[in-house]
Amino acid sequence: MRTFILRRLLYAIPTLIGISIITFAIVRLSPGDPIRFFTFGVQDITAADIERLRAAYGLDKPIPLQYVDWVGRILRLDFGRSLIYNKDAGQLILELLPNTLQLAITSLVLQLVIGVPLGVVAALKRGTWTDGAIRVFGVAGHAVPAFWLGLMLILFFAVQLRWLPSQGMLTVGADVWDLPDRLKHILLPAFVLSLTGIATYSRILRTETLDVLGQDYVRTAHAKGLRERTVLFVHALRNALIPMVTALGGILAVLVGGALVIEQVFSWPGLGRFTFQAAIAKDYPVIQAGTMIASVLLVASYILRDIAYAVVDPRITVK
Amino acid sequence: MRRLLGVVAATAVACQAAPAPTAAPTGAPETPVRGGRVIEGTFADARTLMPMLANDGASQAVSGLIYDTLYRVDPKTGELLPNLGAWVASADGLTYTWRIAPNAVWSDGVPITGADYVTGVAAVARSAKTLRASGFEDIVGFTDYRTGKAQTITGIVVDPSDPKTFTVRFTRVFCPALTSAFGPAAGPLPAHVFDKYLAPGRGAAIDDAPENMAPPVSSGPFLFRAWKPNDEIDLDRNGAYFRGPPYLDGYVLKVVRDATAMATQLKTGEITLGPIEPTDADDVRRREDLRIYTFQEPSYTYIGWNLRSASVPALADPRVRQALAYGLDVDAVIRQALLGYGVRVYQHHLTGSWAAADVAQLRRYPYDPARAEALLRDAGFTLGGDGYYQRDGRALEIRVMTNTGNRVRETMLRMAVEQYRLIGVKITPDLVALDAMVQTLSSRSSDVPAWIIGWKLGVEPDPYGIWDSASIPDPAKRTTGYNFGAFSDPAADRVIEAARTPPSGDCRQGTRAALYRELNRILNETQPYAFAFSPITLLVAPRALRGADPGTFGAYSRIEKWWFAK
Repeated sequence: MRTFILRRLLYAIPTLIGISIITFAIVRLSPGDPIRFFTFGVQDITAADIERLRAAYGLDKPIPLQYVDWVGRILRLDFGRSLIYNKDAGQLILELLPNTLQLAITSLVLQLVIGVPLGVVAALKRGTWTDGAIRVFGVAGHAVPAFWLGLMLILFFAVQLRWLPSQGMLTVGADVWDLPDRLKHILLPAFVLSLTGIATYSRILRTETLDVLGQDYVRTAHAKGLRERTVLFVHALRNALIPMVTALGGILAVLVGGALVIEQVFSWPGLGRFTFQAAIAKDYPVIQAGTMIASVLLVASYILRDIAYAVVDPRITVK
Repeated sequence: MRRLLGVVAATAVACQAAPAPTAAPTGAPETPVRGGRVIEGTFADARTLMPMLANDGASQAVSGLIYDTLYRVDPKTGELLPNLGAWVASADGLTYTWRIAPNAVWSDGVPITGADYVTGVAAVARSAKTLRASGFEDIVGFTDYRTGKAQTITGIVVDPSDPKTFTVRFTRVFCPALTSAFGPAAGPLPAHVFDKYLAPGRGAAIDDAPENMAPPVSSGPFLFRAWKPNDEIDLDRNGAYFRGPPYLDGYVLKVVRDATAMATQLKTGEITLGPIEPTDADDVRRREDLRIYTFQEPSYTYIGWNLRSASVPALADPRVRQALAYGLDVDAVIRQALLGYGVRVYQHHLTGSWAAADVAQLRRYPYDPARAEALLRDAGFTLGGDGYYQRDGRALEIRVMTNTGNRVRETMLRMAVEQYRLIGVKITPDLVALDAMVQTLSSRSSDVPAWIIGWKLGVEPDPYGIWDSASIPDPAKRTTGYNFGAFSDPAADRVIEAARTPPSGDCRQGTRAALYRELNRILNETQPYAFAFSPITLLVAPRALRGADPGTFGAYSRIEKWWFAK
């Protein structure tokens, strides 16, 4: 297992190098000049001022040299200073990462708490209207665009009923530990973010549960006179959940990425929205830091998935 | 300072043309009560709270609430008035003497003195990232201090017997100096906080000072409390404010996604101050709990013509440009793109500004396709079989660039295509991303025959950077400026210079206004731009808010007197 983990970690290195090169190239080769962009319209600015600014932000060197500088710095966990905030880009990202993780983890919990029971119920009620309704919900969960659903929910619950806030993470002036206020704010964005996952897990669980329920060991358990609940939860569901590990592995990274749209719709001050706005504003260090941190998360979650898969399924051997 | 039109400015002159003026609360006099916070919505987060580094609207707004300025601006007229200080200019126009208000103190109780102004100017000199240095270069000794040749700025002298009095001497008479050298970029900055970053040998340490993002003391009505990046900035009441503590408990700048979210949050009460789009105006107006302040934005949108365009040499002919002015129905553009919430402009300076010419003295260019075609024929064009005018076998075809994502500019371009087709001029739309447009205009504007963009105008009306022939950008000569259309007129250059650096030293408003009237007459006559419109800001607040009186030149005037009726 140790060799397996080490090998996976070694594989991650060229992946991250590749991502860093691609990210850097895309950002730097896109049209537009951040210094020109920031200074456009400022009175009496001279060519010397522009050159001075370029030098102050390290943008005066050839692009390959800038890349080498950047890589050298991120190895020391220095992501450079944001062109917008003139603040450490890595620090800015790390300040916002917990907000995104809070949304992603809540969404993940909702996906499991709602998606798994729905899949099991659909399997147990196969062919009934309940099964049909859950399957329709599954299709709708995939088909409805998240931004549209978000806007509709805001209109209904925030504007019409005024039950829930429309935007943000916390009411202005509220205590950061005001849990009910936080819950009110996270409910809509987390639900919208979780919808696709709920649909996916209910479908996977339905298929897997049906498959497992037809296996010999389940029949044997029934023949031994075990209670229905014991057969379901101890024998069937445990095995049906194994493929979920594949689906869950990497889900956090997917949620972090997918949260971009939700963060935009609900003005959630998270990493996705911040990086998106940095891209619009051509804030190179923040774009690069955001992409690299998200990439590390993604690669790490895939490694964890592979390890977890090997651990939970005894049929898999690792080399 | 001028900026590209981006975030809707919550500033400006009460607008006579506002379609539906809002009524002020009426009734018996009310007694102000303390409490409540103004929560203002913004589409973009602030970037810094250090005034000399603030180049965007949000940063300038919030830093302006923390660091009060020496002068203040009348929100309706743009006139400069004494504030934290009062000034007297010498007869030769070279020396300004300032006296800071006796009761002006920092929020920690330390008196605000001339030394704090020195710190503000020294911070500009030391900074590698400020864009404000050119506004201070005429102060005697500034450049020597900036380049390290001197340890002090010799032109600034604080009176040893009265630290609240100081004089500033300039190397030449430069009329915009009053707004630039004593404006927000100069602070005053607290010497007891920032001087440690300005010591010799510390380079540009001031640029990365943590206090730039979290000011520990304040001279303005509010104190910094917290900043959650891309979310909100919280300010609290400054009890030591020299005009008296504000009635409001605090002020919050809250980042919202877009105009739809802004309107939604104003309706739900999550935001209590913010601009809305014209499309939301009727809906908001129906609400009893909200009111709309309408005023002209300090900006205008135009179509710029490139007078040295190789692909459309006809644009060098003023008759062709006048024809294009008559051929564009700007009123229809205002109706369609802004739903009527706009004011037609005919000149560079905005109507209402002291620098603007009387509109009655200017050519109005009403929509007149027949006159437009007559002017084209006068210029030697003949109508071709394809319905477009041509000269020397070349059709009058103009590529017009604007940026994607700006609905108003896109609508204007679409309407220009339709309307100019009716007078036999072919317009080819060229939609690009804003950053690409900025890059193109800045580095190779000669390749762009025409473009639609806007200028945001500041308090100082000096138009040197836009209209002087020295401001034609030329990368080969390393000259910068915003005269992208290469407008060059000796008479215009003369009046711009005379209003900027008068040999007589006469910087009086009346003298400069006469010069700017002449410039505006020249621009109106020669039409280097098809001047189009100035948008009207629709600023929404709860009806319970009292004391607010926003105008073209300021949204937060006397914010210490704002309060919420219960």
